[in-house]
Amino acid sequence: MSKCFRLLPLLALCLVARPLAGQSSVTGMQNLAFGIVIRGVPNSVTPNDAVRRGRFYVKHILNHQIGLRFTLPTQLARVGGGGNLPISFGATDGIAQGTAGSSVPVTFNPHNNQTFNLVTSADFNVYLGGRVSPAANQATGNYTGTITLTCTFF
Amino acid sequence: MRTTTRVSAVLAAVLTLGALPAMAQSANISATATVFQAITVTGANTLAFGNVFPGVAKTVGAATGGANAGRFDLTGQASTAVQLTFTLPGNLTSGANNLPIGTWTGCTNPTNTQAGCTAFTPSGAPSASAFSAANALFVFVGATVTPAANQAAGNYTGTITLTANY
Repeated sequence: MSKCFRLLPLLALCLVARPLAGQSSVTGMQNLAFGIVIRGVPNSVTPNDAVRRGRFYVKHILNHQIGLRFTLPTQLARVGGGGNLPISFGATDGIAQGTAGSSVPVTFNPHNNQTFNLVTSADFNVYLGGRVSPAANQATGNYTGTITLTCTFF
Repeated sequence: MRTTTRVSAVLAAVLTLGALPAMAQSANISATATVFQAITVTGANTLAFGNVFPGVAKTVGAATGGANAGRFDLTGQASTAVQLTFTLPGNLTSGANNLPIGTWTGCTNPTNTQAGCTAFTPSGAPSASAFSAANALFVFVGATVTPAANQAAGNYTGTITLTANY
């Protein structure tokens, strides 16, 4: 019986230390919206552009690690068919920033996997910029593609 | 025996939890863009007052000035809104002499005619218009010059700039 009581705190520690379903999450909050772009004229959105940047919201546990991995398109597809619009992402197009006032934004390359330690905030935003490069004879119309952020909660 | 069983169950639970892999989760957003054709703006016709006389104001109306009205020809994305912004002179100049110009009038039409055009007031603030289904827009401009009674004779000119944006 006494052994049982000695193990219970250990069990409690394990339960607290593991991410629980619902406790950790990633949510797509805002599309990366280039808006109107002109044929033959590249158009960039920076991760600091509050209106047009993409945004994910990530929630985990303070003092835990989290891994981020983007799956990025190389082309946007014309709605209704008829063409693709090249899209690219630069080395500074990713920014992660905790929601706490003291959190410092971290700029990163969205092509590379990232691991963050959640020191000041248990939740944070991931902002994404990018660049589209329409050809001079690009078919006019609406284009769209999917950006996926996969989080691994440690 | 009963105590031993409980301890074993707790230990098994701890080991199972410790062996859980890290949890992964994904979310999506979209990247979107709308491709338009570029806007072209061509200064097609000069706003021409012709002969004016000292002390006598003269007006060329955007909608009524005929061939004397200024005109810009635009092309752009079919059936799409466009903002028109003007940079307008306050004077026409002839060397060091100024001829005041103002009371600007404007008129737009999807076809190259002033008849039935839509009036607006050209200014530094954007005015809304739209390209036709045939990708065209015609912008007519008029104004009034007000020569002083002692206005120096000469040829006076100024520049009117139209900037168009989606």
